[in-house]
Amino acid sequence: MSRMISNIQIHTHNRTIVQIDNFSLEENKITFLLGESGIGKSILAKAMYGLLDPDTLEIKINNKDYVTHLHSPEVQELQTNSFFVFQEPSSHLNPLLTIKEQLNEGSIARAKDEDGILRYLWQAKDDKVFKQLLELYPKPYRPSGGEKQRILLAMAFKKIHMYTSGQVEGHNLFVFDEPTGSLDNAYRNTFLKGLLATYIKKPFTILFITHDYSIISEMTSQYPKLLPHTIFKELRRSKEQDKINDENAKVLLHDFSPDAYLNWLTKGTAITTTSPNKTPVLTVKSAFSVFGRALCLYKDDAHTTPANLLINKGETVYVKAPSGMGKTTLAKVIMGLYTADSFSMVLDGKELTEKSPTRIWEKYLWGKKAGMVFQHADESLNLEATVFETFSGLPMPDKLTRYQLTTKLDELFEGPLSPGFLDKKVAFLSGGQKQRLNLLRTLILSPSLIILDEPLNGLDFSSMKKVIALIENQRKKGTAFLIISHNEEIVQTMVEKSSIWYLGE
Amino acid sequence: MNEFGINKELQSLQDEIKRGFDSPPPPEVQKKRPKIKTVKEKTAQSDFWQQDTSWLFSWIGTILFLTLWNAIFLNKPAFKQIATGFINTVIISLQVILFSLVLAWGVSLLLNHLSANKKQSLQFMVTFFLNLIRSIPQIVGILFGYIWITSLSGTNGSLGNFLSFTLIAIIISLFIFIELADLMLERIQHFKKLDFYDAMRVCGIKESRIINFHILWKNSRIHILNKLISIFGMAIFLQCSVSFIISVGLSMEIDLVSLPNTLGTLLAKIDSKQDILAIGYAITHPGYIPQLFFKHLQGITVSFLLVFTLLSIYKIAGGFAKRYKL
Repeated sequence: MSRMISNIQIHTHNRTIVQIDNFSLEENKITFLLGESGIGKSILAKAMYGLLDPDTLEIKINNKDYVTHLHSPEVQELQTNSFFVFQEPSSHLNPLLTIKEQLNEGSIARAKDEDGILRYLWQAKDDKVFKQLLELYPKPYRPSGGEKQRILLAMAFKKIHMYTSGQVEGHNLFVFDEPTGSLDNAYRNTFLKGLLATYIKKPFTILFITHDYSIISEMTSQYPKLLPHTIFKELRRSKEQDKINDENAKVLLHDFSPDAYLNWLTKGTAITTTSPNKTPVLTVKSAFSVFGRALCLYKDDAHTTPANLLINKGETVYVKAPSGMGKTTLAKVIMGLYTADSFSMVLDGKELTEKSPTRIWEKYLWGKKAGMVFQHADESLNLEATVFETFSGLPMPDKLTRYQLTTKLDELFEGPLSPGFLDKKVAFLSGGQKQRLNLLRTLILSPSLIILDEPLNGLDFSSMKKVIALIENQRKKGTAFLIISHNEEIVQTMVEKSSIWYLGE
Repeated sequence: MNEFGINKELQSLQDEIKRGFDSPPPPEVQKKRPKIKTVKEKTAQSDFWQQDTSWLFSWIGTILFLTLWNAIFLNKPAFKQIATGFINTVIISLQVILFSLVLAWGVSLLLNHLSANKKQSLQFMVTFFLNLIRSIPQIVGILFGYIWITSLSGTNGSLGNFLSFTLIAIIISLFIFIELADLMLERIQHFKKLDFYDAMRVCGIKESRIINFHILWKNSRIHILNKLISIFGMAIFLQCSVSFIISVGLSMEIDLVSLPNTLGTLLAKIDSKQDILAIGYAITHPGYIPQLFFKHLQGITVSFLLVFTLLSIYKIAGGFAKRYKL
């Protein structure tokens, strides 16, 4: 069935969401679907799997009505045999049922190896770790994002094992939509290992949607013998859409060469991040405390050498820490958005402590000496504003003209842009375009220090390269960068080893 | 390590799954699926013609028809009174919209400013004053406002139409605007919790621009407009109710002669009352029904205008909320 699908069109009553002419999956293969966020990876997978509502969206699959697709025996069989792990784990879980009840709902209730799967996903020596969790009702804060994600993966594993043990037969499709977004690298690799082990036992069709390109390195280095069974595809805009000249959301599925990424990783981003100009822009005292938690900055991974964070003019520094340690909190404390319990820093010659009032940042620093690019472009941009309005109101010596802005955007988007681009609503841009816009809003101010919180989030390979080049150009002009990211593999190639700090307790 | 480079942990997982499972469900269970709804041709209904626009044009169309009918069958002085009463009611309600918007915008900015600058005592005072207004039933507050306006006209001679309209609108707005201010404050607080707000602040964008332009104008104007439609309806209802109460003689002190005619005052007039009583008579004597549309036009028109206008506004607001998924 999955081989046959080639053409999908999804519209609302007044707008095309996505359309593609070559969407197909090979049965019993592992397909990694890469691409920038918002390009339509998830919705295409949902359309194929039969999860979209034909009452609210106008969908055509191979030029046929979506209801015909939903009623086809292949789709019904596929839904019976398969599982879909959604991107946002919180929305998947029912707050009125305990985790245990949800792990035993529907057809997966018949899978018997639940404890083994949970033990594996939690890497637990003691079952108590996850047994307590099973009695909980899901809340926004508990289980944590990572735990919720592993619960969904456990559900998927149960269904997979039903297939591999012959309990269900026929067409299948296991979709993992950003299954590792809330997992750190160790848990991500554990999950991947488990998935591939089950695949080896009896192959099934896997669609693994991600914009985490570092999974390519993991696959090529750890599972080379599985590469003949693995397909890397990237969803990209068709040429005319890339220039953002129309509302037509036409995309194409391209083969993605793992070598292109791996070669770029080894040689493409070799950047000198230390600067001969030793003018300090930011110095943060190594020990600080925030929200009752004592944290410290170290120069080594083993957390033995506390060191003040120092960024000179024209340098890029990377702060590394496990998920949840407080990297973003540190960034917000530096930017004066959070008040620390104890903290001391010097930013562009201005000494600031936990007692400094917010108006100092407001008056002297924000947009002038320091700027910060937030993690999620979708949340940090006004989606209702136009591209031009996004840049209006910035504290610049001269008012930014439409012509100047178009020139800047041409550089960033590899224009020429359509004349109407500046008046386009931000909501209608793709995830990658939003992220680039988010970045440019701060870069255009040329402050002394820019903090980048997950700057590569949601970008495709090509946008990632453009963003890195943009950061590098700005750095050469003298701007200092502080990068916070869990995308270690790529960010570590952007900075020298001496420019890495570690955040710990 | 096996040939795929997978270690012992993986092997143990594979061992776990070797234990087997229950037998598969019977085929009829697998095949039983909920019936899928058919596709609605959403594009068949154009963007423009939805519940709000349909009701807006029905309202305007009905008023035009009533105007024509009354122009033909109603005597000139009565027709003029109805036209004046309706226009006055609408003008005052439009003024109420304007004043409510100004008051609500100002109060929400003030409260936000006080809260951001931690001026708690001032914030408490403003909130207390607002709660005081909130605690007074709208109709009672407006009634006292009318008494004040008539006493003003008593001491200063007759107030001009513009001044009377403005004073009435300000009084009504005072007891209505809090709902709009609550909505605006809620929107501001909601967006302040998002990265959206901080991301703009650290770019050096002024807080006043973030709140006025990005939050209230760009992200809340549809909500505000929807509330203003409701305020328009409330203003019509309240001024008519108060005018009616006064006209039927609740207060010996107030002389409505000095205040502009509204639909409420017309409804309270003896002619209209008799016309409305005729409706009751027509129910028991159906043969009399055609006479209602010729002999009792004044009362029927006024009461129909009131009821139909309020219904239309209710439907327009509902349709507007549906259109923008509020």
